[in-house]
Amino acid sequence: MSVRAPAEVLSTADVAEVVRAAHSAGAPLRVLGSGRWSGAGSPAARVGADLPTLSLAKLTGVVAYVPSDLTLTVRAGTTLAELNAITAPNNQWCPLLSWGDDDGTIGATFATATAGPCANALGRPRDIALGVEFVDGTGTTIRGGGRVVKNVAGFDLTRLMVGAFGTLGVITEVTVRLRARPTVDRTLCVAPRTADVELAAIIRRADVQPIACESIDERLAGALSLPAGCVIARYGGNAALVEAGHAGASAAGEVTEIDASVWTRLRALDPHPRRLDGDPFATSVARRLKERFDPAGVLNPGVFGANPGSVS
Amino acid sequence: MFYRVRACDRSTAVGPDDGCAASCRYNSFVDPLATSLATTLAGIVGTRHVTTRAVELLVYENDGLPGYHKRPRMMVSPGTRDEAIAVVRALAAADTPFVARGAGTGLSGGALADGIVLVGMHRMRRIIAIDPVAMTATVEPGVVNATLSRAALPHGLHYAPDPSSQTACTIGGNVAENAGGPHCLKYGVTLNHVAAATVALPDGELIVLEAPRNDDIGYDLLGAFVGSEGCFGLAVDVTVRLTQNPARICTMLADFVTVDGAAEAVSAIIAAGIVPAALELIDAGTIAAVEASIYAAGYPTDAAAALIIEVDGPVAGLDDDVAAIKAICSESGARTVRTATNPAERARLWQGRKKAFGAMGRVAANLAVQDAVVPRTKLAPILRAIAEIGERHGIRVCNVFHAGDGNLHPNIPYNGDDADESARVHAACKEIMELCIAEGGTITGEHGVGLDKLPYMDALFSPDSLDAMCRLRDAFDPARRANPGKVVPVHRCREWMAAPGARK
Ligand SMILES: Cc1cc2nc3c(=O)[nH]c(=O)nc-3n(C[C@H](O)[C@H](O)[C@@H](O)COP(=O)(O)OP(=O)(O)OC[C@H]3O[C@@H](n4cnc5c(N)ncnc54)[C@H](O)[C@@H]3O)c2cc1C
Ligand SMILES: Cc1cc2nc3c(=O)[nH]c(=O)nc-3n(C[C@H](O)[C@H](O)[C@H](O)COP(=O)(O)OP(=O)(O)OC[C@H]3O[C@@H](n4cnc5c(N)ncnc54)[C@H](O)[C@@H]3O)c2cc1C
Repeated sequence: MSVRAPAEVLSTADVAEVVRAAHSAGAPLRVLGSGRWSGAGSPAARVGADLPTLSLAKLTGVVAYVPSDLTLTVRAGTTLAELNAITAPNNQWCPLLSWGDDDGTIGATFATATAGPCANALGRPRDIALGVEFVDGTGTTIRGGGRVVKNVAGFDLTRLMVGAFGTLGVITEVTVRLRARPTVDRTLCVAPRTADVELAAIIRRADVQPIACESIDERLAGALSLPAGCVIARYGGNAALVEAGHAGASAAGEVTEIDASVWTRLRALDPHPRRLDGDPFATSVARRLKERFDPAGVLNPGVFGANPGSVS
Repeated sequence: MFYRVRACDRSTAVGPDDGCAASCRYNSFVDPLATSLATTLAGIVGTRHVTTRAVELLVYENDGLPGYHKRPRMMVSPGTRDEAIAVVRALAAADTPFVARGAGTGLSGGALADGIVLVGMHRMRRIIAIDPVAMTATVEPGVVNATLSRAALPHGLHYAPDPSSQTACTIGGNVAENAGGPHCLKYGVTLNHVAAATVALPDGELIVLEAPRNDDIGYDLLGAFVGSEGCFGLAVDVTVRLTQNPARICTMLADFVTVDGAAEAVSAIIAAGIVPAALELIDAGTIAAVEASIYAAGYPTDAAAALIIEVDGPVAGLDDDVAAIKAICSESGARTVRTATNPAERARLWQGRKKAFGAMGRVAANLAVQDAVVPRTKLAPILRAIAEIGERHGIRVCNVFHAGDGNLHPNIPYNGDDADESARVHAACKEIMELCIAEGGTITGEHGVGLDKLPYMDALFSPDSLDAMCRLRDAFDPARRANPGKVVPVHRCREWMAAPGARK
C-alpha cells in the first residue's frame, strides 16, 4: 500500500500528518528539500523515485532572528540563498557555503552534513547547529537543543539529526549560529613559481591562515578560467590581519586578487564529490537508533545504499 | 548546584588503597550477591582496587555538589583499558547498573551512585600518544585536563577546552559533560575537540566512535556520545584535537560602574565581529570575595562589574582588535581598561576568575553554583531580575560567568546549617531557572543535568522530546544500566515495544 503525500507541506503539523499516515500504512516516503542533490550519484537518487515525495521546499521562513544574538531559527525548506538575504543586511552570514549551490535547503544541508570550503575554519553543520525540530518515523514532533549558543540540557538530538540523511526524522526547523562577516574579505589566486611546490600546504601552514584554501586542477581551472595548478585562498578579518595573510601568500607564490564570486562557482562544480563510504548500520547502536526512530522503515529507505539488518 | 569548597579540594583524593580485600565485611552483614560480584571484579583489577567498605566509600558520596549524598554499593577502579572493558563486561554479566566517575568535580550530581557500583577512572591517567603533526592526543579517560595541556606544551600545542576546574577534572568527565570553559567562546566546547572515543557499551560491546569525515555517511554517534553524562557507556580512551598556542595573547580588564554597562559592552564586542578568546564578567559580589581571598587579583573593589577580555592569535591585526575593544568598552561606560602585558600579570588576572568559586566558598560554608544560558542581548535585564530575586529572598547572588556565550553562573554563598536560609536559597535558584527558561534560555550550558537539573527538564522539553532522548539513550544502553536515573526524568521514558520478531 502506498500513501499519497501532498505535493508540498506547509507546516510541521502537515509533515507530522503525512509521516504518521505513512507509518501506520508501512508505506515508505522519499524526503526532499529543493531536490538539488537528487540527480545521479547523489544518495537521494538511491531512494525509489516512484515513492511518494515529502517535499519540504514550501516549509520556509524565519521563525526567530535577533541579529545581536547571532542566532537564527528558520524552517527547514529555507534555501541558503534566502539565509544569505536574511542575514546580509546585518553584515552577518551563516558561513556554511556548502558544496552544491545556494538553492539547496538548510534542512538538507544539515541532513546531509554537507561541508564546504570554509568548513575547517568556520564550522560544519554539526558545529553550527544549535537546535532542531523534527518529525520522527512515527510522526511524532520532537525538539532537541535550543536557541542559545551553548547548551547541554538533555541528550543531543541535534547531533543525531545532522548527517542522518532523513533516515531518523524529517527536519522541520533548525537554529543556527551566525557569524559577523569579516570586515575585510579577500580572495587571492596564488600561482606557483616552480612546478613542484605544495602550495596549498604552505598557505595553510602560514602564520595567518586563510578561511578557505582550494587547489585548482585542470578540470576546475577550465571552468573557472583560472590557471591550472593555482590555489585560491580566502582571507577574512580586520585589515591588518588580511594584509598579513596576503603577504604570506605572496611569499608562497604569484598572487592576484580575484572576485569572491569564484567560491560560488567552485562550490557548484563539486570539486570533492562525496564518496559516501561506510555501512551506516554496521554498529548495533545505529541499528537500534533506526529501529526506535523509524520502526516501520518509512523514511528514505535505501538512501544509505543499505537497509538496517535486524538488531540481534 | 550546591557546592562546598572543601569537598572540591578533596575530590581528587582517592580512597585509601589499604588493601581491603574485596570480600571484607562492611557494616555488620554480608550481601552475598555484592560479595560475589566484588570477588569477580577483584579478579580483574586486583583486590586493592575494589572496595565495599562504607568508610572508604564515604569520599565518593558526593561530587562537586554536596547538596546531594548517595552511597555507592562498591567502588571498582580499573587500571588499564582491558581491565575497564572486563569490568563493564562483568557488570553486564551480573546485570548490575553502574556509574562512571572521573575526578568527581561535576556540579550536577552526575557521578553519584545510589547503592550501585561506581567505576572510578582515576587510575587510568596515561597519555597514550601525542601526534604533533596531526595535532591530536590519545589519552586514557582519567587524564587530568591541565596535565594534557602541559604535556602538549613542548610541541607548541594545548588542549583548548579549559573548564575552571581544569587542574582536577578528567578528560573522560569533560567528554561526558561536554565541558566548556572561558576560552570556549573562540575555540568551541569539548564536542568540537573530540576526534574519537572507544566506548565500552553497557552490554560489554566495544565500539569506536569517530568524528564524521567528509566522505563517510552514517550517524554522528560520537556527537551524540559527547555530553551524554555517563549514560551511554564507559569511554575507555579518547582522542582529542590539540590547538596551536597563539603567537600573541593580550588580556584586558575593563571595569564598569553599572552591570548594564558591562553587559552592553559584551554584546557590542560580539556584534562588531570580534571573537575574543574569552569574555568573562565578574560582578561586585564576586570581586569582593576574590579580593578578600588569597587569590586577590587587583580587581577594582568599587566597580559594579568588570570584564576580563582576552584576544589571541597571530600578531597581525591583534592591536587593532584591542583598540576596537577598548573603544567599545569606553563607549559603554567603562571607567578604565587595563591591559596585562606580561604572562605574570595575565596569570594574576585569570587567577581571580578561575578561583572565584573557591574564593566565594570562603565567604560562607556552602555555595550554590548555578549554570544557565540566556540570549546574550538579554544579559542586562536578566542580571537585574536575578538581583531582585536574591533581594526578595534575602540572599546575595554573586555572578561570575562566560558572558560572551551568555552562560550565566549565579552563585549564592550561604550557611547550609541554617534550614531557613537553605530553603530561601533553593527557592531563589528555582526562580532563577524559571526566569532563564522564560527568556528563551536553557538550564545548563556546561555543567549538565545530572540529578540537580532533572526537575527543570519538563519545563524545557515536551514529553515527546524527552521520550526521544530516552530512545537515543536506549540505542546505546537498552537495559538502562549506565548511570540510571540521570538527565531525563524516568517517568518520561516509555517502555520500548519492538515490532514482533525484531528482537531476540
Ligand atoms: C551539484 C551539487 C553537488 C553537490 N555536492 C555535494 C558534495 O560533494 N557533498 C555533499 O555533502 N553534498 C553535496 N551536495 C548537496 C547539497 O549541497 C546539500 O545537501 C543541500 O544544500 C542540497 O539541498 P537540497 O534541498 O537540494 O537537497 P535535496 O537534494 O532535496 O536532498 C538531499 C538529501 O537530504 C535529505 N533531506 C532533504 N531535506 C531534508 C529534511 N528537511 N529533513 C531530513 N532530510 C532531508 C533528502 O532526503 C536527501 O537525501 C551537492 C549538491 C549539488 C546541487
Ligand atoms: C571549581 C569548579 C569549576 C568548574 N568550572 C567549570 C567550567 O568552567 N566549565 C565546565 O564545563 N565545567 C566546570 N566545572 C564542572 C566540572 O569540573 C566538569 O563538569 C568536568 O567535566 C567534570 O569532570 P570530572 O572528571 O570531575 O567528572 P565527574 O564529576 O567524576 O563525572 C562527571 C560525569 O562524567 C561521567 N564520566 C566520568 N568519566 C567517564 C568516562 N570515562 N566515561 C563515561 N562517563 C564518564 C560521570 O558518570 C558523570 O556523569 C567546574 C567544577 C568546579 C568544582
